[in-house]
Amino acid sequence: MGILDKKLSLRNRSKMLVGIWEDEDKLVEATSALVHDGVHIHDIYTPYPVHGLERIIGARRSRLARVAFFCGLTGFILMTTMIWYMYVLDWPVNVGNKPVRFTPSWIPVMFEGTVLCTAYGMGFFFFWRNRLLLGVKNDLLDDRQTDDRMVIAIECVEGMNESDVLNTMKSNGAVELRELINGVQTTI
Amino acid sequence: MIHDSLIRERLVTGDKTAADVTRDIARPILNQPTKSWKIGFTLSLIFLGIFGISLFNTIWTGIGVWNINKTVMWGWDITNFVFWVGIGHAGTLISAVLLLFRQKWRMSINRSAEAMTIFAVVCAAMFPVFHMGRVWVGYWALPLPNAFGSLWVNFNSPLLWDVFAISTYFSVSLLFWYIGLIPDIATIRDKVKTKTAKFWYGFFSMGWTGSTRTWARYELISLILAGLSTPLVLSVHTIVSTDFATSIVPGWHTTIFPPYFVAGAIFSGFGMVATLLVVARKVMNYENYITIGHLEAMTKIIMVTGSIVGIAYLTEFFIAWYSGVEYEQYAFINRATGPYWWAYWSMMSCNLLAPQVFWFKWARTTPWFIFIMSIVVNVGMWFERFVIIVTSLHRDYLPSSWVMYSGSLTEIGLFLGTFGIFFTCFFLFAKYMPVINMAEIKSILRNRE
Repeated sequence: MGILDKKLSLRNRSKMLVGIWEDEDKLVEATSALVHDGVHIHDIYTPYPVHGLERIIGARRSRLARVAFFCGLTGFILMTTMIWYMYVLDWPVNVGNKPVRFTPSWIPVMFEGTVLCTAYGMGFFFFWRNRLLLGVKNDLLDDRQTDDRMVIAIECVEGMNESDVLNTMKSNGAVELRELINGVQTTI
Repeated sequence: MIHDSLIRERLVTGDKTAADVTRDIARPILNQPTKSWKIGFTLSLIFLGIFGISLFNTIWTGIGVWNINKTVMWGWDITNFVFWVGIGHAGTLISAVLLLFRQKWRMSINRSAEAMTIFAVVCAAMFPVFHMGRVWVGYWALPLPNAFGSLWVNFNSPLLWDVFAISTYFSVSLLFWYIGLIPDIATIRDKVKTKTAKFWYGFFSMGWTGSTRTWARYELISLILAGLSTPLVLSVHTIVSTDFATSIVPGWHTTIFPPYFVAGAIFSGFGMVATLLVVARKVMNYENYITIGHLEAMTKIIMVTGSIVGIAYLTEFFIAWYSGVEYEQYAFINRATGPYWWAYWSMMSCNLLAPQVFWFKWARTTPWFIFIMSIVVNVGMWFERFVIIVTSLHRDYLPSSWVMYSGSLTEIGLFLGTFGIFFTCFFLFAKYMPVINMAEIKSILRNRE
């Protein structure tokens, strides 16, 4: 269960390079340049959605839509079974001699149940996949990354030329460069 | 290819930066409440008190304190229920439909509209719940195990569909609203200074950091929820309309009800959103975010949906005549010329005629006038529900059971009181949560195409 796994926290990474941007276009250019140079970007943090970034860093396409479909199917089956059990099997009610099996009057309840299961199933998956949980401590690299600043975080790996990476970030509009070692940030 | 738009007018004026957006929109949250907020909140609490007294009287004495009787068994209560539920339906519809149609102007109004949905559905729920009389056995409306009695619930009944529809609608709208709020709660979390505020905003922001992968999933879930919410809204108000349409009461037994109710819901909802936002933009200094362009777009929708509702009124009248059914014909003649003629003509003037002024640009771009018109729309839509319910019921097939009906003081108090619930919730929301979606607004500052 990744939500509470402290190993995933940015503070527990051995070394990271952090670049700060104030301009969305320059951020996109910098990301493209870094990816072009073969640098593996850990993540990018922005105060609002910047379209296309996830494709540039090669993030996998979300499976939320598929989850939604299966949750919807579950809801549909659950509601149909429920109505069938209550209304046909357990206690059939004769209302004006109308048929009791799979009548159009079942549709509203089946539909609502399907929508409810889809929405909440997908919502649960969304929270779980993004490690979002009520009360979870946030892992910020910059206090203004939810306001007006954008942050690129790069995990240092063996064989990576750190000065080249820093130069690429600087030449592509980074307003500030930092390194994060064992949870402590220092400005470069 | 993305580039700066040369044609489209800016949705946010005043050359704002992302930091400006946070500062402007978070101002009411980060500062002490203003005088106008305090006055508004106190007034809302007074109305909430009226609700409390009326509800106490209803529960303590019984629903005999309402003027409903065996002929008019639904009066102000269901009128108010449909009125609030209609307002409630527009919120998610505005948010969801406009998102599906990629209407970026929604970003300034969707948060308030969604909040309006939640609060309006709470107000709406009060009426059927307390109309049951024995509220403490209200859970019998749910499909519970048979130990509670010998029968399950009746799946042929639109009233049961309503139980499922409205609870689903409320739950899904709440999720939609909350997911949209998380990034903004995180922004506030990183701005507030006090320990208590930091704790609570931190708690509800769920550890949000604004990661690119999270944003991608956030946008996808918003889109899918919008896709789900749109048919959900249509289904819920269709079901509310079938509460009437599946009966054999003249004036109710008509297939036009579902589309007519849905159009009416959007109409009244936009009316209420306009009421709230015209005031909010002035009092909270949001003129650069909720611009005249936003108000104009809303008034155009009010005009179109008002006209659809108007056509439905006229179609009902025509079909009553064309059907050759004398009971139907009498029901409609009685509406227009009977003892409740004043309610019918109030409805016609407020809903069909009044919104036609929005053909004129001046009317669409003058905030004080839009505010007055939004009140007119709300009044008209309340009368619509009153006309549908009371005029159809007060004279049925048997002239011996014809009666007149008017709301008792308790019924009036309950209705006024729900405004107390609604505005108390809205004022608290405006004080503690961003009324405008900051994250989405920041993404359109550059006016890109």
